[in-house]
Amino acid sequence: MRDKFLHAPRNLDPFAAEQPRLDDALSRRVNADPEKLERGLAQLVLTVVELLRQLMERQALRRIDGGTLSEDEVERLGRTFMELDKRMEQLRTEFGLTEEDLNLNLGPLGNLL
Amino acid sequence: MIELYAITDERAPRLPPIAPLSAVASHGLAAVYAPADAELQVSPEALWQHERVVEALMEDRDLLPVRFGTRLEDEAAAARSLEERHQEFAGALARVRGAVEVSVRVLGETPRPQPSESLSGAEYLRARARSESAAEAVSTAIHEPLSSRARACAKLSAPDPAELLRAAYLVDRDELSAFVACVEELDEANPGLSVLCTGPWPPYSFSAP
Repeated sequence: MRDKFLHAPRNLDPFAAEQPRLDDALSRRVNADPEKLERGLAQLVLTVVELLRQLMERQALRRIDGGTLSEDEVERLGRTFMELDKRMEQLRTEFGLTEEDLNLNLGPLGNLL
Repeated sequence: MIELYAITDERAPRLPPIAPLSAVASHGLAAVYAPADAELQVSPEALWQHERVVEALMEDRDLLPVRFGTRLEDEAAAARSLEERHQEFAGALARVRGAVEVSVRVLGETPRPQPSESLSGAEYLRARARSESAAEAVSTAIHEPLSSRARACAKLSAPDPAELLRAAYLVDRDELSAFVACVEELDEANPGLSVLCTGPWPPYSFSAP
């Protein structure tokens, strides 16, 4: 692998932190069973939910920037998004999906997320 | 069973002695393959072996790399696939001709916040805003100058919240050292960021139609 480095920082450890997840993704992709409808459906539904979550979060961030929200409202929104983030991760784990899986390749339009 | 490695537009490509390779030609294209066991062995070593074969082939020709684990029944099935999709393959080969893929990953000091009991809602949202703008800044400071030196680019999503940019660039073979010099300059100009650049890779991210 080292001969593939064109430019690397002195400390590589932070880049290697997610390595086990790559192996995991590989075996999942290869073992994918076309009969497993449920996982495919979950993937599609969670992709749409994740898209909406990101859109809403960006909207909230813009409104904070604009200063149109009270402290209370910011706190409430923040807690809601944090809770959503947590729930999404639980659901992803339950269905064996990674963040990468919740992205659709829209061909010439690029990726959905 | 056969395992595919690459598609080229040489009818009789010279095959490196790194694996028991053969080639089957159709419609001005050739698919390079090796016999495979019925059961696919999935391991990092097997993946690297696949990669070594594709890279050995890539040394002296342009090609479309075939993803690890792609198997067909026999040589006839490979020839049929070339026949059915020859226009698509020829178009993709034209896009990657004379170029290689370079991968760039950038880590920053503003990781995306993870939900936690110790964060208040407002702190979480503000941390999200900071990581969003850090990611945008990286896009402007690193991705834009690099993509202007590449024939094409693709942003990929990264599972690690501290990774602010993960992208693949399609770089002309003779522009590679200039591209790497540019990466080094950008890394130096942005002391808060850590930049890892690897390659040259087969053009995996640019071979799809």
